[in-house]
Amino acid sequence: MKKKIGVYVCECGPNIADKVDIDKIIETVVAANNSENVEIIGDRHKLLCSAAGKVFLEEEIKNKELTHMVVAACSPRDHNSTFINVCKKTELNPYLYKMVNIREHCAWIIPDKDKATNKAIEYIQGGVARVQYQTELIEKKLDTNPDVLVIGGGIAGIEAAISLAGKKRKVTLIERSAVLGGKSVFLKELLPSQAGKEYINKRIKDLTDNENIQVFLNTEIEKIIGFLGNFEIILSDVTNKDKKTEIKTGATIVATGFGLSDVTEFSNINYDTKDEVYTSLEIEKMLSEKGKLKLSSGVPPKKVGLIHCVGRDEKKYCSQICCNYMMKIANYFKKQSAKIEVKEFYKDLCLPHKDDQKLFNLTKKNGVDLVRIKEVSLNGTKIKYSRIDGTIEENEFDMVVVAPPIIPSDSTKNLSEILDIPLDEFGFFQEAHLSTNPVGTSTDGIFIIGNAQGPRGISNSILMAHAASGQIRTQLIPGEQIVPEVKVSEVLEAFCMGCKNCIDVCCYGAIYFDEIKGISVVNEAICRGCGNCVASCPSGSIRLKHFTNEQIYQEVIEALK
Amino acid sequence: MDQQKNVLVIGAGIAGMKACLLLAKTGKQVYLVEKLPIIGGKTIKNEESFPNLECSTCMVAPVQQEILQHPNIKTLTLSEVEKIEGDIGNFTIIINKKARYVSDTDCIGCDMCFDPCPVSISNEWEENLMNKKAIYVPCSGSLPNVPTIDTEHCYHFNGKQECNACVEACMFEAINFDDKDEKVEIQVGAVIIATGSDIYDVSLLPQFGYGKHPGIYTSMEFERLFASNGPTSGELTIRNSEKTPKSIAIIHCVGRKEQDYCSGICCMYSAKHAHFIKHKLPDTKIYNFYRDICVPGKTYQKFVEKINDIETQMIYHNSMDELNILHNENEITIEYITGKSKKETLTVDMVILASALNPGKDFSDISKMAKIDLDKNGFFITNQEKVGSVESTKPGIFIAGCAEGPKDVQTSVIQAEAAVSGVMSCLDS
Ligand SMILES: Cc1cc2nc3c(=O)[nH]c(=O)nc-3n(C[C@H](O)[C@H](O)[C@H](O)COP(=O)(O)OP(=O)(O)OC[C@H]3O[C@@H](n4cnc5c(N)ncnc54)[C@H](O)[C@@H]3O)c2cc1C
Ligand SMILES: Cc1cc2nc3c(=O)[nH]c(=O)nc-3n(C[C@H](O)[C@H](O)[C@H](O)COP(=O)(O)OP(=O)(O)OC[C@H]3O[C@@H](n4cnc5c(N)ncnc54)[C@H](O)[C@@H]3O)c2cc1C
Ligand code: SF4
Ligand code: SF4
Ligand code: SF4
Ligand code: SF4
Ligand code: SF4
Repeated sequence: MKKKIGVYVCECGPNIADKVDIDKIIETVVAANNSENVEIIGDRHKLLCSAAGKVFLEEEIKNKELTHMVVAACSPRDHNSTFINVCKKTELNPYLYKMVNIREHCAWIIPDKDKATNKAIEYIQGGVARVQYQTELIEKKLDTNPDVLVIGGGIAGIEAAISLAGKKRKVTLIERSAVLGGKSVFLKELLPSQAGKEYINKRIKDLTDNENIQVFLNTEIEKIIGFLGNFEIILSDVTNKDKKTEIKTGATIVATGFGLSDVTEFSNINYDTKDEVYTSLEIEKMLSEKGKLKLSSGVPPKKVGLIHCVGRDEKKYCSQICCNYMMKIANYFKKQSAKIEVKEFYKDLCLPHKDDQKLFNLTKKNGVDLVRIKEVSLNGTKIKYSRIDGTIEENEFDMVVVAPPIIPSDSTKNLSEILDIPLDEFGFFQEAHLSTNPVGTSTDGIFIIGNAQGPRGISNSILMAHAASGQIRTQLIPGEQIVPEVKVSEVLEAFCMGCKNCIDVCCYGAIYFDEIKGISVVNEAICRGCGNCVASCPSGSIRLKHFTNEQIYQEVIEALK
Repeated sequence: MDQQKNVLVIGAGIAGMKACLLLAKTGKQVYLVEKLPIIGGKTIKNEESFPNLECSTCMVAPVQQEILQHPNIKTLTLSEVEKIEGDIGNFTIIINKKARYVSDTDCIGCDMCFDPCPVSISNEWEENLMNKKAIYVPCSGSLPNVPTIDTEHCYHFNGKQECNACVEACMFEAINFDDKDEKVEIQVGAVIIATGSDIYDVSLLPQFGYGKHPGIYTSMEFERLFASNGPTSGELTIRNSEKTPKSIAIIHCVGRKEQDYCSGICCMYSAKHAHFIKHKLPDTKIYNFYRDICVPGKTYQKFVEKINDIETQMIYHNSMDELNILHNENEITIEYITGKSKKETLTVDMVILASALNPGKDFSDISKMAKIDLDKNGFFITNQEKVGSVESTKPGIFIAGCAEGPKDVQTSVIQAEAAVSGVMSCLDS
């Protein structure tokens, strides 16, 4: 069939018209390409992006029965989508259209009109060559499953499950321990609000009462395959590995929380199990369980020292919540008895939320001695420290509380392999983009929330739960289909040597290995079309649709002629 | 379309824009109201963003583009909400949309109308570090890339002189002096307030000498000074001179005491600023005067560790009250109390004041109009009966981003997405 290629040059008012010779461009391009198989229909227009311009193109496509179209105008950044939308109104597949930038690349930067005209001709010639090698791509629609799996029954997981569950969306929540609530259940009070255990317990009840949520305790995930809208998952019972459950969901949320680092691994902290040294969490548990803070002898302490930032230098991050909760703990002692002498040692105060300063003011008012230090070390219950002015002091306490760094939950590494989600340098799950997509991951449809993504307090963990919920509810609407990217890679079976290079370089886990055929296969629903695999393949057997080597060569060769 | 499923988003910063894009995916009609002529908020004023030091434009421009091209998002720039009436599921909104005087369908953003304009006035968006014409876009790369006319200063409008120069220069007949302010009435089911925050007015604190010496800058002024599309095309020269600073002091926590909160981001952007300076002016000495280093979360400390004490000298000082910036024509001298309680001084060419973020001037008007509460500082308060909520004190109205309190882009985005979840709960159940 004869190709009928429309080539339309936009005048962009005087912007292009004054700086290049449009008639000459059209003449040259028509003459250079017209042949037995190709007919070029060339024309110019005052302003193609205007309403009239769009109608003009639409009519041209219809009336001239174009098989391909090239638009030579401004930057595709400005108007590529405008012309794609024009194509979509017609029979012309938008992947058989190509935009060429002769404004920013020619008209605006080359003062000599002849030179600018020639360069524009070369660019358009490249476009005309390329468009002939482009192929139709058809968007596919996939049915989706709106259901969600939540891994981890801490406060983040609980809030995500409650937020998402509804008549049309079922949620499965798995918790590997025998109880729900995660670390929050041990907290006597909950900052910055004065809600405590009661709030957490109420949310646990809301969760278990919700008929659209199924909770599996003592359960872990064993296997997951699939992509946004369609995951197949196998769960297994921790106590009986043979007891498995298979479920299908459309999205998965990871809310596996945190652990606390062993503080004795840090060289400045030395104590024995018999010493009256407690971690912050042990204090919270003691108060929650016994209602009072006491030494192991049963008597309340008289002189308490609290050390902030233990292991912060070694871990190379600030855990974000310990300044706040250490002041909360200092106030626990002061509330128990104003006579207890409380000294709190800190290097920096990290109070990033607008309400945090209130707690600082209250803590000072309650008579806690907040000491800013440079260095600190602990020996038994003896704390040696250097003040900011360099003076070194040593105090003996009858009770010491340390704030250990928040570290990833111990299941994180294993889970990252099962989910094929990378970890960051600190061992937490790596988000899609720290600033602009903090709850997304490299796999669409898998989200990370709460302390699984990084250290944070309860409010912020809950906010992330709702953020993941916001993404899922807008991307996975019950009863609606999704349209995956069409500019994806494909492996040409006949050429693939099975070296698996591509599997290593794909950041999205889109390539799997077909053991029987001995070749790599791209899962089109996961591939984002980044092209990494194409570059990595030694046998050149991967093709990225709409960016094939041939398309690029043809464009470049023609432009360089 | 079921109007009760429409959504209004006020403020086109990163929080408002992110919320719009998610909501628009569901087919809802979303109205985005922005008071400036352009969308993008504060993030587009920064050349690079912490913690990855990536180009802010590259991070935000695709979001801006998608907003402007999305069929389900109606963006109303130069607009402010005047009335919010009704309740969850059924709000009536009246928006005052100011005349732009330039047609966004006809204008192609060629800039040809700027040069002929005889008026030159201070450009507020550029922190008054440069001038603009009476017909202008705030900065190059503005989106939408359509100018507007400052009617207070335009000769045609203020009658000082006859002028038609811009109209004559425009080949596209895009300029229309007869454009009128418009009242737009819409019905929506839910509202997201994402109006960002203001920056503390450092001239309220005479001890820092702001406004009294050309070498004393606010942090936002510095962002523009450093920006390659900014007043000096990114050249670090002192205001009204060609002088390159040989020494720069960055003062942390300016306004913290007065506001009674830590803004949580200024330690980070101050480290970023030190890094910027080192990068452009390797021989310039940099000093950061701090009292706390607040770098919460998993990546921020590592970011500052590569900069603080390496690219800049960190100076701890004992008291914000006793830090004074003295200046005469040639020098700026910082007088401070060291950690050892000694009074010392340091002379520098330039000072950057890391100012706190504080509530917008119109927050109290908005709160009255929407019948929602503010906190004691004047930020919008969220439902205190819930933990980690983005609901305001009125059902159906949500708060996201710096409108709720100072924060980084990360948490602004988290709140925006959480607000979307809230909107979906009240509209789709
Ligand atoms: C001493 C102390 C005091 C604190 N005080 C406060 C405070 O006052 N205010 C505040 O806001 N924050 C406070 N925090 C922080 C608060 O505890 C956390 O923000 C909160 O617990 C985080 O919730 P989460 O759901 O992310 O994680 P977690 O509470 O850690 O919950 C994670 C859950 O996931 C489960 N899990 C882990 N791995 C798997 C797996 N592979 N499969 C299935 N399930 C799994 C765990 O068993 C756990 O139940 C404090 C923290 C400490 C240590
Ligand atoms: C100097 C400086 C440097 C920074 N650097 C970084 C950085 O490197 N990385 C980082 O993560 N964060 C940084 N931040 C913080 C970052 O700017 C904010 O987190 C982010 O801008 C918040 O986004 P937002 O959408 O909430 O508000 P904004 O960006 O402030 O946007 C709010 C929008 O609402 C509009 N608006 C306001 N009132 C109304 C109204 N009544 N009607 C209609 N529209 C209205 C405004 O015009 C604006 O467009 C920096 C902040 C400062 C001050
Ligand atoms: S939150 Fe405070 S105690 Fe915890 S690591 Fe950060 S600075 Fe140290
Ligand atoms: S194009 Fe990118 S996302 Fe797609 S399979 Fe190749 S490497 Fe993976
Ligand atoms: S108003 Fe006219 S001259 Fe000005 S930028 Fe728009 S199209 Fe160009
Ligand atoms: S009419 Fe106004 S905006 Fe236009 S050129 Fe004259 S002064 Fe400038
Ligand atoms: S973030 Fe740093 S500079 Fe800003 S108020 Fe807090 S401690 Fe001060």
